[in-house]
Amino acid sequence: MIKDIRASLLEERLNLSDFYNPQVLINMGPSHPAMHGTLRVMCRVNGEVVEDATCEIGYLHRGIEKLAESKTYHQWIVYTDRLNYCSALTNNIAYVMAVEDLLKIEVTERCQWIRVICMELARIIDHLICIAINALDMGALTCFWYLYHWREEAYTMIEAMCGMRLTTSYARIGGMSYDLPDNFDSMMAKFLKGLPKSIDDVEKLLSANRIWVDRTKDVGVLTKAECLDFGLTGPVARASGVDFDLRRDRPYCTYPELDFEVVCGVKGDVYDRYLVRMEEIRQSAHILAQCVQKIPKGPLWVDNRLIKIPAKQDVYNDMETLIHHFKIFMEGINVPEGESYNCVESPNGELGFYIVSRGGPKSWRTRVKPPSLLLFQSFEYSMKGAKIPDAVSILGSLNIIAGELDR
Amino acid sequence: MSKLTPKLQAEQDRVQALVAEIYPGNRVERDVNAETVLWVNSQKELIQAVKTLRIETGLQMDRLSDITAYENIDGRDGPKRFIMVYQLYSMRFHARVRIKLAVEENEKVPTLTSFWRAANWLEREVYDLFGIPFEDHPDLRRIQMDERFVGHPLRKEYDIKDRQPFPDSLPVRIAARAPLVSGQE
Repeated sequence: MIKDIRASLLEERLNLSDFYNPQVLINMGPSHPAMHGTLRVMCRVNGEVVEDATCEIGYLHRGIEKLAESKTYHQWIVYTDRLNYCSALTNNIAYVMAVEDLLKIEVTERCQWIRVICMELARIIDHLICIAINALDMGALTCFWYLYHWREEAYTMIEAMCGMRLTTSYARIGGMSYDLPDNFDSMMAKFLKGLPKSIDDVEKLLSANRIWVDRTKDVGVLTKAECLDFGLTGPVARASGVDFDLRRDRPYCTYPELDFEVVCGVKGDVYDRYLVRMEEIRQSAHILAQCVQKIPKGPLWVDNRLIKIPAKQDVYNDMETLIHHFKIFMEGINVPEGESYNCVESPNGELGFYIVSRGGPKSWRTRVKPPSLLLFQSFEYSMKGAKIPDAVSILGSLNIIAGELDR
Repeated sequence: MSKLTPKLQAEQDRVQALVAEIYPGNRVERDVNAETVLWVNSQKELIQAVKTLRIETGLQMDRLSDITAYENIDGRDGPKRFIMVYQLYSMRFHARVRIKLAVEENEKVPTLTSFWRAANWLEREVYDLFGIPFEDHPDLRRIQMDERFVGHPLRKEYDIKDRQPFPDSLPVRIAARAPLVSGQE
């Protein structure tokens, strides 16, 4: 009798060979609620532990770099919105800065301050989204509402600045498309008053929360040496103790005049990345407060007729200006031969635009160096040995945006 | 123009002078932002240059920022078809050096994956979009495009409207990896 049971159990086990297989492949993505965007990961799991993983990208490849070769410099600004769509302003500005380098022009001081304001707003939005979604993936919905409220407020402010919310296309070569709105100071004051309060609230909800700490501490650890090896930058590298921030170490725009601190973590796990991002939001708010105080009055555009987009009022009333307007938009700006690599500290790390110009209104080669590509490459390594739900939390903490990953 | 602070400018000038001193026979230029551009003449020299720039006390270019390439079909940068571009960054001195190497079509380029693991995907992307093969690369496959894709889209002869849609996706392969040699001393 007992023998029969044993035999039948054995038989059952053989039939369920897949179930007892220590090497099961699990495919996540490209369309999966926890894979933000179109990311695809193939994991080899033993039980619940991921033993090996490989990432596949390219599902959102739109050939943006190829398009740059057939569009004029101005026409391509709209494509930069579609790189990292959470911080479109940073992309716009980083790109036009690279073109301005090629043209060897320096934008006005007011314009530089506006750009700093934009980039810091974009950083706040990006970090808010990252933390909110990361918490949401682990089931903490409350933080999502607290944080997304301020994201909406920031978008309302951006809407007042340039008329768009998500895909802003705010920057122009040699200036910005609009000046700041009249009530900007009061809007910003309201924002800077409310945001830190919400950040404090969320910190109270998460930082000592048993579930959050258990899910994030010692998960997805990257050491300092590994960060350098993988070429990581931004909050992920800083959480591992890489004391590097382009805003401080290779400053651009008006960052040298601003007072802020570069936040670093120690361990390089998901928890440290969360803390770094929280503190960076506070630092960005601090920068914004200084910007509102320091921003000077004055012209927004460079004083160069070949580059400056004429004011609409003049275009309608003055024939020469109308011709000029058409020249700029139909033919494009003539950019001299040369090459430039401009990089800024985007919310995710070093975002670079490498432009090779052979003269004329179109670029010969435009290369976008996205921070997400190198971050996602490290994901294969940092998720090894983790459990599948940990992989979701690691991915959320890396803040990979498929738009700039695949271009 | 993103102007450098005087201190960084001095640092970049020093790096420029040092690179020119180490490579007297090579073309050493500055781009519009005064960043150093070093032209290497051969594949062997590229590996040597990367080694030297990483170790040299006054340079310490320890972070690989980017690998890319551009077309040189119009011959403005010499007779060869493509120019490989390597962006190095010194985390200590906060200076940049850009290494350039001209390669012919189908001419092999040595991989940098043994120096930085970051080079893996960056080189795969160059291979995918330009068709430049890399020698000893652990996993040289297409990365952005499907493996069934024909041609290399960032070459100038590839027409922008030449689309190749696929109805399905291939199964993912667990990729071969570079040995875990971290180059950090």
